[in-house]
Amino acid sequence: MTIAETDRPVAASREGRRIEITGLTKRFGSFVAVDDLSFSVAPGRITGFLGPNGAGKTTTLRMLLGLVQSTKGTATIGGERYADLPRPLQTVGAALEATNFHPGRTGRDHLRVLAASAGIGDARVDELLELVGIPAVARKRAGGYSMGMRQRLGLAAALLGNPDVLILDEPANGLDPEGIRWLRGFLRHLSAEGKTILVSSHMLQEVEQTVDDVVIIANGRLVRQGSIAELHGDPKAMVRTTDADALARALAAGGLSARALDGQRLEVVGDDLTRIGDLALEARLPIHELRADETDLEALFFALTDSPENRNRNLEGGAADHPAAETPEEGVMR
Amino acid sequence: MVATISSEFRKFFTTRLWWGMAIGTFVAAAAFAGLFGALASRTGLGDPAQGGIPPMSDHQIAVNVYSSGVSVGYLLTLAIGVLTIGSEYRHKTMTSTFLATPRRVTVMWAKVISLLGIGGLYGVVFIIGSVAVGATVLSVRGMPAFAGAGSIVRTLVLILLVLGLWALIGLGAGILIPNQVAALLIAIGVAWIVEPIAGALLSTQSWGAGVAQFLPSRATTAVLQSYNGGGEAEQLSWWAGALVLAAYAALMAGIGSALTVRRDIS
Ligand SMILES: Nc1ncnc2c1ncn2[C@@H]1O[C@H](COP(=O)(O)OP(=O)(O)O)[C@@H](O)[C@H]1O
Ligand SMILES: [Mg+2]
Repeated sequence: MTIAETDRPVAASREGRRIEITGLTKRFGSFVAVDDLSFSVAPGRITGFLGPNGAGKTTTLRMLLGLVQSTKGTATIGGERYADLPRPLQTVGAALEATNFHPGRTGRDHLRVLAASAGIGDARVDELLELVGIPAVARKRAGGYSMGMRQRLGLAAALLGNPDVLILDEPANGLDPEGIRWLRGFLRHLSAEGKTILVSSHMLQEVEQTVDDVVIIANGRLVRQGSIAELHGDPKAMVRTTDADALARALAAGGLSARALDGQRLEVVGDDLTRIGDLALEARLPIHELRADETDLEALFFALTDSPENRNRNLEGGAADHPAAETPEEGVMR
Repeated sequence: MVATISSEFRKFFTTRLWWGMAIGTFVAAAAFAGLFGALASRTGLGDPAQGGIPPMSDHQIAVNVYSSGVSVGYLLTLAIGVLTIGSEYRHKTMTSTFLATPRRVTVMWAKVISLLGIGGLYGVVFIIGSVAVGATVLSVRGMPAFAGAGSIVRTLVLILLVLGLWALIGLGAGILIPNQVAALLIAIGVAWIVEPIAGALLSTQSWGAGVAQFLPSRATTAVLQSYNGGGEAEQLSWWAGALVLAAYAALMAGIGSALTVRRDIS
């Protein structure tokens, strides 16, 4: 069974909807949770919305969905505010917190309640429960659900109207490794159908292999936006030899740009390891180490979000540039 | 709008609350009707001026027996009204509700309309309980159970209206006090204890009786034209009583809705 079975309007014939966030700001009292944030999410791609806990991801998504009023700025989906969408569930699917269920109502009934307000039938509800893998459990009361079941039920709710745009807030939270793997596959599957997916996470490695683009924020401000490939930067190779300068010259003569790091090690632009090895052999220089130098995204993420001006305001009592006078119960997510 | 209303009904009937409350309503209606039916007498009891029961016609007896449990019944629909919105805040289902219907005013109207229906439904349960038991007890005692049937039917229909309006008052209280437990305690506490005491105190003042008739419980008795416990205390006509109740409901739900439309949902 696939999601495409239900009356999916031919996506190809239609312009995808772009998510535009412009100058978005949210103050809670004197605390600026989201600070003049602007970014856009390209249609048909998976975009990771990343930032440490308390960075303002949930607040941003809630503003995008019209649940929280922005202090300044706009957030639109396909040029429209969420509240103005004529058929919201059929246009945008959202899964926010993993706990939004009445404990005394079954998961299936939770979906049926939502389905009723969008004129969606029970058949679609059962189809989705099947798809996210909780058809049996969904007939029990939600109070007893594990985090993983809640996340799956939340995903099912987001997909009810078969929307083209999906907004998922920390969908991997509380999933076991198996669940995370399932989620990855699931998101890729949805993306292959042409859906636009914005998925937030406080852990880059959770989404690194899934997303096409990233938007990184810290303390409510944009830190970096780009494709995951751009974030990786140009491929590089690391070589260790006896005379780094001599090898650098030899590589340069062969058309490779290289830079000596110290007497023995050098960094080469490009990832053609065979060619580097061949050129070293011609120059009669020994190779003690030769490897493609993967950018450590996790380290980069950490560096970006933990640089002095972006250091997490939620962790220290009153960070320098944020008089976090009334930051309420840090770390305790609502 | 129709879809949002049907979603609200589905919300209500997919938790255990509804049948718990239905049982409560049925039992309260039946118990009070049984008790009043057993005690009712044409000659009255004690001195009406001292809080006794004045002599009543067969028709008055029947009306009073069938509506005797209303003051408990409306506490229950009041609670339902509070819970309708309170549980959405408490369990954070407000998020999915507003995602499904981002026009919050539509959601509020859907809640109002569905609650009137739900209140009416509980009214039906109430009537089944009170009439079945009350009429049986009266008949067993050899008293006519349906003297003035047309006007009894009118009273029964008005019970539906009263229970629906009290549910709306609860909705207003539930929106105004976003903490469900606090809202429940305050609403029930005020309606059950504070307001009757205030009514009794007001009635002791010469100027107070005119004010007291506008209190919700007095307005409720006025709608049902049942025995008001206060001898010859001033009482509104039935439609004025209904308007007063509707005004309370509109005021509370109106202010509450206006707040909800602006409130951040997190
Ligand atoms: N309703 C609120 N009132 C006050 N502060 C809030 C509220 N909601 C969020 N915050 C604060 O705003 C910051 C951003 O929160 P959030 O958007 O939940 O971050 P994230 O989802 O990235 O972890 C946090 O410091 C949080 O404490
Ligand atoms: Mg969050």
